[in-house]
Amino acid sequence: MYTYIVRRLLLMIPTLLGITLVVFIVMASAPGGISAQSLVEGQNLEPQAKKALEDYYNKLYGLDSPAPIQYLRWLNNVSPVGFTFDEAGNLDGFSLFKGSDLGKSFRYGRPVTDLIAERVPITALLNIISIPIIYIIAVAIGVRAATQRGQSFDVGSSAMMLGLWSIPTMLTGVLLIGFFASDQYWHWFPTSGLNDRVALDMVFLPHWGSLSDILILIFSVLFATAFFIWMSRWSKPYTRAACFAVIGLLAGFFMADALPEKEQGLITYLMITSLAAALFGAVAYAQYSVLRVFFMGLVGLGIGFIVAFYFQEGPFVRGFLLDRAWHLVLPIICLTYGGFAFLSKLTRTAMLENLLSDYARTAKAKGVSDNDVLWRHVFRNSLLPLITVSASLLPSLLGGSVIVESIFSIDGMGKLAVEAVKGRDRELVLSITLISGLLTLLSYLIADLCYAIADPRVSYE
Amino acid sequence: MSSADTPTARSAGASYGKKIMHDVFSRFGAKLGLTWIAVIAFVAVFAPFLANSHPLLLSINGEVSSPALSFLTSGDVTVLGVFICAVALYFLRLSFTKNIVVLAVVGGGIALLSIIFVNPPQLTVYEQYRVNESAANYDWVIRAPIPYSPKDYIREQGDTGLEAPLSNEHRSHLMGTEENGADVLSRMIHASRIALAIGFIATGIALFIGVILGGLMGYFSGVVDMIGMRLVEIFEAVPTLFLLLIFVAFFERSLYVMMIIIGVTGWPGYARYVRAEFLRLRQQEFVQAAIVCGLPLRSVLFRHMLPNGMAPILVAASFGVASAILAEATLSFLGLGLVDNPSWGQMLNQSVQSSTFNWWMAAFPGGAIFLTVFAYNLIGESMRDAIDPHLKRKS
Repeated sequence: MYTYIVRRLLLMIPTLLGITLVVFIVMASAPGGISAQSLVEGQNLEPQAKKALEDYYNKLYGLDSPAPIQYLRWLNNVSPVGFTFDEAGNLDGFSLFKGSDLGKSFRYGRPVTDLIAERVPITALLNIISIPIIYIIAVAIGVRAATQRGQSFDVGSSAMMLGLWSIPTMLTGVLLIGFFASDQYWHWFPTSGLNDRVALDMVFLPHWGSLSDILILIFSVLFATAFFIWMSRWSKPYTRAACFAVIGLLAGFFMADALPEKEQGLITYLMITSLAAALFGAVAYAQYSVLRVFFMGLVGLGIGFIVAFYFQEGPFVRGFLLDRAWHLVLPIICLTYGGFAFLSKLTRTAMLENLLSDYARTAKAKGVSDNDVLWRHVFRNSLLPLITVSASLLPSLLGGSVIVESIFSIDGMGKLAVEAVKGRDRELVLSITLISGLLTLLSYLIADLCYAIADPRVSYE
Repeated sequence: MSSADTPTARSAGASYGKKIMHDVFSRFGAKLGLTWIAVIAFVAVFAPFLANSHPLLLSINGEVSSPALSFLTSGDVTVLGVFICAVALYFLRLSFTKNIVVLAVVGGGIALLSIIFVNPPQLTVYEQYRVNESAANYDWVIRAPIPYSPKDYIREQGDTGLEAPLSNEHRSHLMGTEENGADVLSRMIHASRIALAIGFIATGIALFIGVILGGLMGYFSGVVDMIGMRLVEIFEAVPTLFLLLIFVAFFERSLYVMMIIIGVTGWPGYARYVRAEFLRLRQQEFVQAAIVCGLPLRSVLFRHMLPNGMAPILVAASFGVASAILAEATLSFLGLGLVDNPSWGQMLNQSVQSSTFNWWMAAFPGGAIFLTVFAYNLIGESMRDAIDPHLKRKS
């Protein structure tokens, strides 16, 4: 096992070298490439000042030396083991512990490490929230679809998931911002960033003015949620659907009413109310109780909050946490839907393969209950492909966040990457490449190790 | 869609490939996808006749002329020529390789000839037709269904600018106009060419590199495989989008460079599939027999092994076309796409750049991207179901 890990870690070194080399060659061979001229370009300077600035950049980043030398110098700076140089730039000696230095960004003039350390937590926050959501929804839908194979839920969810998977993230982002964040339609969410300026000075948790407000809030939320969950457990689907369609109708009416004057019209009202009614009714009619309870509970929660805010009297401070959550809603929607659409299809295939296998039939024949067969036997064996995919999910989320972060102007790694590339920032581009490459390779390794843990038949001895 | 409704009555003589194809396109999803792509292809080929400010035919004092024809660019002529050639080939029913060869030769020939002989006038004044028409200078005019070119900003009528769909009583813009006053539908029709071309050519390049490298890796295994897999890993370890960004940002922005770049970054997936297939196939008797017969390597790899391992690669390619279209749209959206011509992604970007949110500028191009990607995904999904022996056996 340990020899395997060590071997894999050693194999990463040539791969990482290759990655940075590919990226460096692209940058160096591009017309214009990276040169002091391209950095100074666009600044309105006198010729002498321009020359001086070019010389300064050349000296600082060694841009006037040939490309292979530049690459080797960068490599030497980055690798923890290598040659050291003295102040004047002469070879000093060879050190095993000189530590790695990612260099300074051209554009920002700051150490790359600092820049990345600033941005990583933001992207990590987005991913840490979205990955569990992706997995939970994917498993819930995929398992259900596999057990109901060929029935309406399976066919419907398969088509819907393929459709969701095909919706480009930028379209979703643009439409969500346009309809739910701009003041032309519903100004419910903020358009950009991760928090408001004012929220930085607020306390962390939300605060209410008086105790009675809190009591009203707790009571109304609990009551509404409990009521709706109780309703979702009714046994007659048509009653459920009818009741919920009426609620949807009301919700749609309020939504249309919240639109600014000039967007309102009979057609808008009809469209929104009928759409909401149809959606609510369809969910309430669904056979899948988990989906029903979840959706109705969510609606109950929302109604509880709205009622509480309607009746409360004292001042209310939303606090940093709530403000952050409020800002995260739209980006998280954009980040998750493609992932769970893809994963749920994968879950379905894996589950199906195991559900149809001999051991599942044997377990059923022995008299093991359906639930136990599903979750104790079949589900565990279906986890393997999910683990494999989790490795490739990490880089894809980093890539996906490029779009989401630039739409929502969130200063994360994705946006940094776009800025670095657009600004031809050599050190930054190479460092981001190196780090994302390293992360990806590590996640491959971890996935392979998890594979061995999940399936005892796999061993790397 | 996923239900395995395989047709039981198949002609016994048909090859495996034909059976699979028949199976795929008897599915509802694949039919739907194919229909949409056919629509897009039709629109792309006949774009200059569907959306054009130049009238198709007009008569001045009894003299009939066609500005639309005289303003065709060499690109338009090539596309039309290749399309006519493809239709003719379909009815001739030649073998697949012959088809490709004829199409390539004819396409190249037409492209060369049209570059030499087709010279549309440099100066285009879109306004003249409308001005003349309103002054009743023409006897009669036949206009294109959408009488606006993608870059016709309707300058002669001062009130142009952002318009919601069908909001102007003088002009009919089915999908509204963008900020400069150009017709959104017309831009979308002309952009469909880019989407279609990027999808096919970028995937073709990726497939070409992937099949050759993957084939060599799978056939030789050992050291070649080891080195090849490192190469695959190098390209897979960096998020594709980031790699694309780097490539695009540092090179000039033209359609062809974009195709090559998307192809060059997309090959590792195919290489993996081909390698896996070839690793499986190289032990089989027919391959051993081909080697023993002394056939050259090229023949063993591409005549004997490749056709047997093609099915999963085609599935991947179908999804690959979808992701290539998405890649182009994403790059254009991030402002790194084509500069001069509209593409769907660039139109989406335009809708973000404007100060107000105009749903028609986002929803229509975005919807077109979605539908096209969805169509390719539907076909890919149907193909995967059709070649999956698991589903058939157990159903």
